[in-house]
Amino acid sequence: MNQPLVEMKNIKKSFGRVMALKGVDFSVGHAEVVGLLGDNGAGKSTLIKVLVGYHQPDDGEIYFEGKRVKFGSPREAREHGIETVYQDLALVNLMPLWRNFFLGREIVRRLGPVRYLDRKTMRRIAREALAEIGISVRSVDDTVAFLSGGERQAVAIARAIHFGAKLLILDEPTAALSVGETRRVLEHILEAKKRGISVVFISHNIYHVYEVADRLVILEHGEKIGDYKREEVTPQHVMDLIAAAAGVK
Amino acid sequence: MKGDKVTLRDLLRIKEFGAIVGVTIFLVLFSLLSNKFLTTENVFNTLTMAAELGIISIGVAMLIISGEFDLSVGSVFAVAPMIFATMINAKYDPYLSLIVSLMVCAGIGLVNGTVTLKTGIPSFITTLGMMMFWRGILLAITGGFPIILSRRVDMLQYLGGKVHGGLRYSAIWFVVLAFVFWIVLEKTRFGNWVFATGGNLGAARALGIATTRVKLVNFIFSSVLAGFAGLTTFARFKLVDPTFGQELELEAIASAVMGGTLLTGGYGSVVGACVGAFMISMVRNGLVLAGAPAYWYRAFIGVILIVAAVINARIRKRVAG
Repeated sequence: MNQPLVEMKNIKKSFGRVMALKGVDFSVGHAEVVGLLGDNGAGKSTLIKVLVGYHQPDDGEIYFEGKRVKFGSPREAREHGIETVYQDLALVNLMPLWRNFFLGREIVRRLGPVRYLDRKTMRRIAREALAEIGISVRSVDDTVAFLSGGERQAVAIARAIHFGAKLLILDEPTAALSVGETRRVLEHILEAKKRGISVVFISHNIYHVYEVADRLVILEHGEKIGDYKREEVTPQHVMDLIAAAAGVK
Repeated sequence: MKGDKVTLRDLLRIKEFGAIVGVTIFLVLFSLLSNKFLTTENVFNTLTMAAELGIISIGVAMLIISGEFDLSVGSVFAVAPMIFATMINAKYDPYLSLIVSLMVCAGIGLVNGTVTLKTGIPSFITTLGMMMFWRGILLAITGGFPIILSRRVDMLQYLGGKVHGGLRYSAIWFVVLAFVFWIVLEKTRFGNWVFATGGNLGAARALGIATTRVKLVNFIFSSVLAGFAGLTTFARFKLVDPTFGQELELEAIASAVMGGTLLTGGYGSVVGACVGAFMISMVRNGLVLAGAPAYWYRAFIGVILIVAAVINARIRKRVAG
């Protein structure tokens, strides 16, 4: 079985007169970390939003685990095991960690006709799942507001792993993080890979991507301008490629 | 892991903490000022007075937590008994009248929610418009005159009639509804979604929560509870005039805020809102018993509201960021 986990073929998407994606091929292998690079407006997020069903493509086909799929909403994609962690849209700051961890997938118990939250179990599982990927929090009753940016990313990643994601899409996970925190987030990505999860890592920062990615895909102006195995390129080469495409000499 | 020792932080994490301390302070204060204050009779009285505002503030708090406002509750508070009284006077069955008046309230909530969520205008505006609209309709239809119940309706006894001394059924409804909505908000999936919807709409959506439905349901809760509160009050007076419930929308918001609810959504408590309503009722009652002129009450509530908001904001910063 050598087919990739995700295969997107000739994806086109326009918004009004703007062609955001001009026929892009994109694939992600099993347990592969793919870095998705490109300047602002290159089409990175549009491509991902098409993949998870937020946008419907105008043209092109998407295969997931070898089957043709058309996700009507991110929720559907999620049910298939595609988990996206957006920068500001992953967690609710004012809510305790355990509530965030189970948001939308709460564990309930029945008492006659009433279904009530099983707080005890959710607290325990959240604590264990976080500890398992090496995040120690003071208390799962603390709100997310008290976590650092890196810890928030880590919680979101732990959540995705816990709920059996097959593909984890991280949108700029290292933006605005300190060096130490970036390191830890990168370790979590490798941890996810070790568990057989594929990762798409969207970033501006080639150095962060280069450290963990198996393959690098570069988009520019809605087109794929590069698709390299990590060994084939240097960060400098990739940077030159992006700069050249953007018209910077 | 948490030890056995209860820390200050654990106490502050109770969202109603500020309001409960406030009530305790006023309880001590007014008991010192008047020996009639801390009697069973007076506590029942206070609870009954708090009930009408409190029932409204339950729905208002739920809605604020999910990130929306309802300024139309004061008008809806009058619309429900107006329909009820008109139907009773036209010889309709009391239960049918009750159901119809509450259904109309649900309809108003549905319109509030649908207009807000479909057009994207702030609910502050939608419900302000609805508040004016219904108040205008009430005035136009009645010509400004009150509607008086023309026959005896036994059912009203169970809405706002006396149970024992100053204790009325409205107080019992208040406690029951507070309990039910406390469960809904704190212990159910829906409650979890309410917090998430108001706390970070984008994240809630990204996690697959039907945020529009959550808000819509809360708009309906808010209207129905306001209508129900109006009916319990009507059951006490057997009369409804078109200015019934004016400014209650603002008092309901004040109750919610005193009880620790964050006006921008995502944080708050139903029980807190009820404690807030109780505090307002207690201050009104306490000032009268202490011999202060009744006019002072509003000024006093204004100050308490601001102080409470400041204290609650401090507490929230500390425990919830």
